[in-house]
Amino acid sequence: MTVNVIEPAIAPMKSDFWPKFRRNRNAIAGSVIVTFVVLVAIFARVIAPYDYDETDILFTWAHPSSEHLLGTDALGRDILSRLIVGAQVSLTVAFAVLGITLTVGILLGMIAGYFGGKLDAAIMRTVDIIFAFPDIIFAILLASAMGPGIVTVIVSLSVVWWPGIARLTRSLVLQLRTELYVDAAIASGTPPFVILIRHFLPNIVAPLIVRASIGVGFIIMAEATLSFLGIGVQEPRPSWGGMIRDGIVSLRTEPYLALSASTALGLTIIGFNLFGDGLRDILDPRIKDR
Amino acid sequence: MLSYALRRLLGLVPVLMAVILLTFATNHMTPGDPVGTMLGDQSANVVLAAKLRAEYGLDKSLWTQFTGYVAGLAVGDFGLSYRFVGVRVTDVIWDGLKISPVLALAGTAVAVPLGLVVGIFAALRRNTIADTGVILALTAGISIPNFAMAAYLVYLFSIKLAVLPVAGWGNFSQAILPVGILAIAPAAYIARLSRTYMLEVLQQDYIRTARAKGLRERLVIYRHALRNTLVPLLTTIGIIFGGLLSGTFVIETVFNIPGLGRLAIQSIFARDYPVTMAIVLLFTGFYTLINLAVDLLYGIVDPRIRLGSR
Repeated sequence: MTVNVIEPAIAPMKSDFWPKFRRNRNAIAGSVIVTFVVLVAIFARVIAPYDYDETDILFTWAHPSSEHLLGTDALGRDILSRLIVGAQVSLTVAFAVLGITLTVGILLGMIAGYFGGKLDAAIMRTVDIIFAFPDIIFAILLASAMGPGIVTVIVSLSVVWWPGIARLTRSLVLQLRTELYVDAAIASGTPPFVILIRHFLPNIVAPLIVRASIGVGFIIMAEATLSFLGIGVQEPRPSWGGMIRDGIVSLRTEPYLALSASTALGLTIIGFNLFGDGLRDILDPRIKDR
Repeated sequence: MLSYALRRLLGLVPVLMAVILLTFATNHMTPGDPVGTMLGDQSANVVLAAKLRAEYGLDKSLWTQFTGYVAGLAVGDFGLSYRFVGVRVTDVIWDGLKISPVLALAGTAVAVPLGLVVGIFAALRRNTIADTGVILALTAGISIPNFAMAAYLVYLFSIKLAVLPVAGWGNFSQAILPVGILAIAPAAYIARLSRTYMLEVLQQDYIRTARAKGLRERLVIYRHALRNTLVPLLTTIGIIFGGLLSGTFVIETVFNIPGLGRLAIQSIFARDYPVTMAIVLLFTGFYTLINLAVDLLYGIVDPRIRLGSR
């Protein structure tokens, strides 16, 4: 089957990171957006002008005003407040999935690459099977079986995301396997686990960071897709995907909900992707365009 | 070549079996008794319940159900639908089967030429304002999810300008927005890659040779550079097609198109697992075959890849 060709390049973190960063417009533009969204997410409950769940039946579908800057939705809830808390929901899912997939993917990838043999075969066949499903269709299937909710989204996206990390880690480890310092460590009796953590991990971290930062945008998109389809994050908790689904049916008369949630979602993913592209150029120019 | 193709095809069997097992297990993991749902207000009718249970094979062990399911798949039988009691899954999905592949193929047909033209345009104007503008637009095209794109474009074209229908399926104007939106992300992806590959190819010695012998620039680009750009692009067609397949879930839901994607989502909510399962397996099957075809084609187009030696 076809895989994304990410040429694994092995280069430790370089000390000229900041000068390169300052010259990279993508990285700067991306980090401005990312920082903004992360701050909004962290302080969501403080900056949201209203409670995201506060309904007002007498004030439904209000147009933007000084009271409700982006208007209200079908239940009279403040759209801006729901967008702000939606950022928190979106990033919580994204970073949880990232944390789980990096831990599982790196661990299994290192085991597969370092020990080889039956362990390698078992791990890589599992990877092949999950890769056999197109795009996020397996996540959709899993989410539908588990019943909707934020935990479901995190679990089902983690299941389809770790194989990519594991495959990349394995190929990076295989390249390092023949290095002299690895032989030296083995010869001096260092336990395999210590070799993996002390000698492999620092040397494969740069391409993994790049891969992870490019992944955030796609995870946010996947969460929004599940929520849009109705099998992701559930009401009353706001999610951008769910808000777009609610808004798109009343687009003709009340466009603010769908359009503002689409803008928040689109800009956030653009920010993370610009940031990821920038990091890739800085840390690892040899990794091919994905 | 033929033996390689056969070996690859055989190698897919265990993977596809595992996919079927996984899909089957996922669906049987779900709580709730399908017979209870089917009975509706006749839930007290024990005789009918037993009859349905026997008809659907639900009285047998899970393993027997699974082997029976696989044996059915081998002859194109996906079993019976839970939502439409007694109706074959093949009959439920038949109409959608005539729509979703058309949608995905139309999306590919728009995305590939569009992406190539934009990518090459940008590569030939490297580091100009036009190039920077194109790159920004491509990042937006890859980043903005199709349903968010749909919200913007439906609002603009169907509501503000009122030149295209809001939803539906059947005539050409109804196809413009769904196909167009489905094509945006893959087109942007192809454009980004073809720009990168084109820039790489333009630095090769044979391009310098072609220019040195006085070949006109158009011929250098179209005869020498373009052809070599296309080869690596071929490998991405599998990923693109996979994205289009899952894209139909969203786009068909947004535009109310009676295809397999919308049916899959409806079946999830109706707990019609046999239908969901059939659609997931069909899509995975299409995807696997496309990837196999791409791999084989790659060996034909690029003789440097020796297929036998894997």
